[in-house]
Amino acid sequence: MNNFIAKIEGHGNLNIDWDAGEVKLNIFEGERLFEGILVGRTAEEMAWITPRICGVCPTAHNLASLNAIENALGIKPSKTTVLLRDLMQCGQMIQSHVLHLFFLVLPDYIGIDRATELAPKNPAAFKDALSLKEVSDKIVQIVGGRIVHPTTTTIGGFHKVPTKSALKVLLKKLKETEDAARKTIQIFEGIEYPELKVDLKLAAQEGEYIIAVSSTDIEKKDKSLITDYKKNIEEEVREYSTAKFSKYKGEETLVGSLARLAVFGSSASKIDFTNPFHNNIAQAIETLYYHQKAIEIVEKLLEMKINAEAIKQSSNPSLKGIGSTEAPRGGLYHEVHLSQDNDIIYANIITPTVQNLTSIEKSAKALLGQTKNKSREEMEKLLTMLVRAYDPCISCSAH
Amino acid sequence: MSAKTVQFLILTRLIKIMTKKNSNPRVAIYDLTDCEGCEVKIVSLREKLLVLEKRIDIVDWRLGQERKEDGPFDVTLIEGAPITQEEIDLIKSLREKSKFLIGLGSCATLGGIPAIMEKSEREKWCKKIYGEKYKPRGIDALPLSAYIHVDFLIHGCPIEESELVRTVEELLSGKKPSYRGYSVCFECKQAGNPCRLIDEKPCLGPITQGGCGAVCINGGSPCYGCFGLREDANIDALLKILNNITDPPGGEASKKEIERYFSMFLNKVNK
Repeated sequence: MNNFIAKIEGHGNLNIDWDAGEVKLNIFEGERLFEGILVGRTAEEMAWITPRICGVCPTAHNLASLNAIENALGIKPSKTTVLLRDLMQCGQMIQSHVLHLFFLVLPDYIGIDRATELAPKNPAAFKDALSLKEVSDKIVQIVGGRIVHPTTTTIGGFHKVPTKSALKVLLKKLKETEDAARKTIQIFEGIEYPELKVDLKLAAQEGEYIIAVSSTDIEKKDKSLITDYKKNIEEEVREYSTAKFSKYKGEETLVGSLARLAVFGSSASKIDFTNPFHNNIAQAIETLYYHQKAIEIVEKLLEMKINAEAIKQSSNPSLKGIGSTEAPRGGLYHEVHLSQDNDIIYANIITPTVQNLTSIEKSAKALLGQTKNKSREEMEKLLTMLVRAYDPCISCSAH
Repeated sequence: MSAKTVQFLILTRLIKIMTKKNSNPRVAIYDLTDCEGCEVKIVSLREKLLVLEKRIDIVDWRLGQERKEDGPFDVTLIEGAPITQEEIDLIKSLREKSKFLIGLGSCATLGGIPAIMEKSEREKWCKKIYGEKYKPRGIDALPLSAYIHVDFLIHGCPIEESELVRTVEELLSGKKPSYRGYSVCFECKQAGNPCRLIDEKPCLGPITQGGCGAVCINGGSPCYGCFGLREDANIDALLKILNNITDPPGGEASKKEIERYFSMFLNKVNK
């Protein structure tokens, strides 16, 4: 205890079996039992409670819950609501990626410990990091009401929508920081990552489907319905962890930025999908992608009447719903069943990190096998960097 | 010793700790089981964090750095709820090593969202979620104060950055940090919100300590009390109002609705 991997979200450490070449990722987070907490609460409270699973990606949980409840109640949100939520997702992606890249990952590669030491070392890069943090916080603040744990969202729409003048200020800020997002790609493409080749599945959501490719062949796509998520993402309990471990269709699968780029196609030649360390390049590319997408959405919103009043439930809803979204770390699934009075009677949540844990262990084993001439101490540092490259969210995994 | 003498001693000790001439106060930041959103808020201080770092020396912060020095610490900030035995042992040892110990965020100060789960229900849910064979590690989700003496509470789910900065500033100037002497309603009025209670929508604003800027109500959500009870909170008076505006007054459904509000963040707080 009290010897956890630094600079990752949550409490875990590595148990390395040097003789067998195996690595186990111990997870120590206490069980909060969110699926139990939700039962007996109202439908409205689900999207209030689930963001508290994770303070790094609360907006993703908020949106997944709203999506699940709306499916259960037969609500189809308006176009404006969808646009505003997409904008929140852009903000969430940049918030999370920038925090991870500059505050948790970069120190490993440039010989500093705490990210603020970047300020004297490379003032321009530090300024860019802060400006991206600021603008992404601003997106979520303006649309969601608070940078961590949204306050404006509700079933079927929004309690409050941003004013046009606030959006204009945001647009100006976004345009001013686009260059910082571009430079982020340069920084993370310029890093010399450790060498590693792992044969993994990479999966990402697209519409109603989960699309999976192989890290060695991203052209061949395998498709499954999100509604079958529970069947395909099999969870397993391990005695060394309070988080479950899952495989997708029986295979270790990586989800998140690297998987999204593999599935949706990336023109970046520098990315090697068999090397999970390259997830950090993918996060940098996505930072610019979501930054540009945010600009597009704000421009669209400025041209229309922004009315996102909550839509009422349909007359004969199924009371069962699945909500999904691509969270910063990958596909997130929330499922809910409601009583006639709209109280929650069942909830199930599968987070991206639960899906990544098995692939982290597989990649760690490969790294042990493929890296030569390193001392145990150096090897431990390298393994820690590998875990960090995945950007695990251990709070999410042990919800 | 009289309360006044104790106050005076704490104050002189604080002045000594925080205004040391030659070195900055040694600060540790710890997190237990939680969402780490309050630490995200620390990072969101951005430039202000750099300014603060000139006046404090963060010698142990797992989320932010590898550097990890042992105590004693002048100030220790603890985020999260101690749920496992290891966490309970950890906070006890941190208490011994820390001159001034602060609870950071509602999980640490109140038990927060994880404390919605009753201790008596844990076994049932562990079995449902993890299976029959699983050996649970968690005992109960309680605030830090259930196990150790805590010198100051920075409430909030998540914390408000300005409250953290204010607390550190007060400590640095040798003052004992103080709680807000007003309720959320005060800030809610300043923000120009219509009163939820007058509109017959439940709200815990009147009994909740201010400092949040009424951020939830600004966004259209109710106040669930994450900033903790204000001093001399008149809970009975609020209950009367809540009874009248929930449907049907005094009925089972009404009681259940009021209970929902009081159990969101305050479930394990002695009301």
